Amino acid sequence: MVAGVSAVMELPDDAQRYPGLTPAGEQMLRFLREHPHAPIYRNASGHRLLPEELPQVLAFADAVRDASVDPRADLGQSWLRDYVGNAMRRVPHYRRYGSAPEQIADLPTVRRGDLARDVAAFVPDDQPLERLINFRTTGLTGQPLLIASHPQVAARYLAFHERALRRFGIELSSGPGDVGVMLVGWQQRCFTYVSVTPQRGECGLAKINLHEDDWRDAADRGPYIDALKPEVITGDPLSLAALLAIDFAHRPRAILSTSMTLLDGLRTALQARFDCPVLDVYSLNEAGPIAVFDPAVDAHVLLQPQMAIEILDGDGEPVSLGERGEITLTGGFNFCLPLLRYRTGDHAALELRDGEWVLAGLAGRAPVRFRTSGGDWINNIDVTHALKPFALPQYALLQAADGSLQFDVHGNHGAEIGAVEAALRAVLGAQSTLKIATHAEPCDKVVQYRSELPEGDQSLAAVAR
Amino acid sequence: MNQEGPPLEQLTRRLSETPAPFLAEPRVGKQGSVHVTALVADVLRAFGGSGDVDALKRFEMNDRAKERNPRMLTQILCWLLMDPALRGKIPANELLRLLFEEANALAEKVAAKEFVDSDERREELSRMALRSAGMRPAGESKNVAEDRWLAVSSRERTRLAAASRAAEERARAIREALERKAAEESADKWSRE
Repeated sequence: MVAGVSAVMELPDDAQRYPGLTPAGEQMLRFLREHPHAPIYRNASGHRLLPEELPQVLAFADAVRDASVDPRADLGQSWLRDYVGNAMRRVPHYRRYGSAPEQIADLPTVRRGDLARDVAAFVPDDQPLERLINFRTTGLTGQPLLIASHPQVAARYLAFHERALRRFGIELSSGPGDVGVMLVGWQQRCFTYVSVTPQRGECGLAKINLHEDDWRDAADRGPYIDALKPEVITGDPLSLAALLAIDFAHRPRAILSTSMTLLDGLRTALQARFDCPVLDVYSLNEAGPIAVFDPAVDAHVLLQPQMAIEILDGDGEPVSLGERGEITLTGGFNFCLPLLRYRTGDHAALELRDGEWVLAGLAGRAPVRFRTSGGDWINNIDVTHALKPFALPQYALLQAADGSLQFDVHGNHGAEIGAVEAALRAVLGAQSTLKIATHAEPCDKVVQYRSELPEGDQSLAAVAR
Repeated sequence: MNQEGPPLEQLTRRLSETPAPFLAEPRVGKQGSVHVTALVADVLRAFGGSGDVDALKRFEMNDRAKERNPRMLTQILCWLLMDPALRGKIPANELLRLLFEEANALAEKVAAKEFVDSDERREELSRMALRSAGMRPAGESKNVAEDRWLAVSSRERTRLAAASRAAEERARAIREALERKAAEESADKWSRE
């Protein structure tokens, strides 16, 4: 009982969730919560930004706005040399590496497992703890991870969203009295709440779950979205596909897709329905928004001015520019969790296209190879390409030890399954043993590509190393 | 400590003038330029010994995160021990202990380069090398040499012990701060991963 009471007492109140809340902000929160069509909000959270921190957050966004991006991991870049030196002095895990190196490749790499084992060793010595927050994630591997963060770090995300949106001609205009963003989820259990964004005059933020269980009446979903008229809608492909199935008139100015691969078919469907840019943002809990896909260069354009990127081969050695390998990060804007050579588990090539640094051929997770019925091997990217025309929000392909294939599609999709099967057989071989199953319910975490053939799963090989 | 050795300054100066190749990256995989095992074998030979293969194997690096700093200190020690005043004066077993166990212990909390850059760390390493050779700095009596060694090494041990306690306390405080309900409630991001 005592533990329960103390846990309750530790919860922040509204004054801590929304410091400096103005009457207009208060009115916005009431509007979001008390609207007749509002969902059942199951949680509470807020920006937690102190009024005196707001100018710093705005100054950060200004600096990010037009800053040039040069991700080369060259210690000749003064910001990178300072960043590495600082991290090696102030962060316990990096301090044991010893002195700063001549070149970054001389430093050890860090994996997700290192953070999961002891995240405390990655928090700088001089970082005050009073306002530490966490973001919890299980990731695709199911390995739980607690990310140390801060209200200012969370607020900084918007600077990168604005930079990404600007590429597509969108300057945000939401301000007092408007709803700036609606974060949509579609899960059986989802963290939902309302808030306001002080950087934009306390415009509204609603994090909602489109799953019917979170609404008094599922028919409220469309009218609620129409009432809020969010300037931007963000979500993962699964949730955005669920959005397509809901009838409403509102057209957001942009849609941001995160968390999973966004197939062209779904992007096209969202663009057709909402007549607005649909941005595929490569973002990690560990590092925030890293890059946004731009069809004009057919690659993800990097967003963070202070993020160095190396591409490593299976042995952890840097590859030449333009070669594929594991995306490895040094830098970032989370001052509670400096990253030195953090191996993301995601793969791409680093290239300069039209004068801009991009991640080309980005594929989440380590590559998996599939054996075709003809005995050849194909890369999971080939499967992604084959599935591009379809609006599949979430899918998984598993090759069993006997070579048979199981393809699972989750969530709302408008695709004709016969056509999907034909596309898969075109790359996997006409004689493949292939079973396809569709599931109306979403799956919280899907490992997109897996192989139980020893030669197939390159990700397990990487983990074993 | 029975024999009078070279002036302390001879060794501390040698450390402060450590040539760049001894401060370069120890080789692991395709990275780094210094083959520490070969370097140690050279030092052993110069001292009239020949380290057996098993003894030398310990210097091969497998885990760059854990071994980079200790092996960099091994490199610095190799340079120091090749001073003409020390050469041939330390038995092979003691030499290997200095280059491995002592390097590991000293490098646990201190960057190897500190033993080149800091006056106090240079003195500590120089006095340690002299003691291993059974010598004391020129101009110091046995008692004075012992007192000064204890002062410089125990001061550092005390500092490291306090730092270690503080680090443990800090890690505990971070874990508690992250697990607080308030921390779990998080803060607004315009998109979630």
